[in-house]
Amino acid sequence: MHVPDGFLSPAITLPAFGAAVPLWYGSARRCFGTSVAERLPVMGALTALAFVVQGILIPVPGGTSTHVTGAAVLAILLGPGVAFACESLVLLLQAVLLGAGGITVLGVNALAMGLVGPGVAWLVDRALRRVSGRLAAFAGAYLGIQASTLAVALVLGLQHRLDPSYMPVPFPVTLAAMMIPSLAVTGIVEGLYTVATLALLRKARLLGPA
Amino acid sequence: MGTGRTGKAGEAGEARKPGARPRGGRGRGARLTLVSVATLAAAGALALPARAMAHEVEAEVVRGRAVAVRAVVPGGRPLADADAQVFSPADPAAPAWRGRTDRQGWVLFLPDVPGRWRVRIVDAQGHGIDTAVEVPAPGAPAAGDDARGAERGAVRGRDHDHDHDPGEGRTARLLLGVGAIVAVFAGGWLLRRRRRT
Repeated sequence: MHVPDGFLSPAITLPAFGAAVPLWYGSARRCFGTSVAERLPVMGALTALAFVVQGILIPVPGGTSTHVTGAAVLAILLGPGVAFACESLVLLLQAVLLGAGGITVLGVNALAMGLVGPGVAWLVDRALRRVSGRLAAFAGAYLGIQASTLAVALVLGLQHRLDPSYMPVPFPVTLAAMMIPSLAVTGIVEGLYTVATLALLRKARLLGPA
Repeated sequence: MGTGRTGKAGEAGEARKPGARPRGGRGRGARLTLVSVATLAAAGALALPARAMAHEVEAEVVRGRAVAVRAVVPGGRPLADADAQVFSPADPAAPAWRGRTDRQGWVLFLPDVPGRWRVRIVDAQGHGIDTAVEVPAPGAPAAGDDARGAERGAVRGRDHDHDHDPGEGRTARLLLGVGAIVAVFAGGWLLRRRRRT
């Protein structure tokens, strides 16, 4: 899902950075603010786990592969603001250490995978929590990952429209190639991962008051 | 004994009509016509080589001069059938070659000028690399011009990009990332505790 360096023009990356920088400042303050200070160890552990699971590629029929983000559990547990900061840190380290994604496209990746996806996950979880906690978590994670994938596909499609020399693949092809594995595999795995992680934390009595 | 020709009765004395062709003359004339036409055609073919050789195709086989770049994702899966472009240093704006990676994720091209060539590979999911490959001038030694020079030349393309060789030290880099995250949050937690006390 990460967009690599060199495939988005400054016309897209610069505005994305312009939107992401103030959000990073605000979410970093929230990360280390008093309201969630006691949960820093859990936050750090979940962020480290997200870094690891994003590096695990799940093979998909057709010769391609996908991966979960682990950001939904952060959003459901600690809010979308904290999830944005944590996921941005993960994306930065992936770009620097693993060559996944990139630095010039960090704003785009952070907004798509750290804000849009976890934001949708948090909203869906809140809306369905009264029905069932597990269903809310699963549905939130599933729909959150679809939102992230769709956001990335839209950005790539927009880039193809603006300048095909950066992204030569047309939008319909990109959309199908990204959404089909996401709907069929990634969303389900992300949902199961989120439900399992929350259950483990609850069992270990690490959830605590929200 | 006679020495005259013998023939059928009545033939020996037959006189040739004026203008009549001798026996076998029609066949000889046809052969002459055929030879003339063939000679004219051959002459025409030699005189107009472009038209005569319009369907001829020649093949040239070159070994040892191609540059190969391979795109793989972590785990070793090749980026097969992905859109690929190669840009020459002589004209960085327009692709010198455009096509798709093969089943093993390879792109091969034959550089015609030395310099910094650029290879971009991207699949439909947006996974890809944008890497530079240094092609030395003819006769100039490549870095480490030894038996591994060619191999290193191919790997060097990846060195210019943040894309690391998949699998190479990946576990160590994963652990380093985890360590960095733990350090950030542990540091933040300690700072908060210090402020409280």
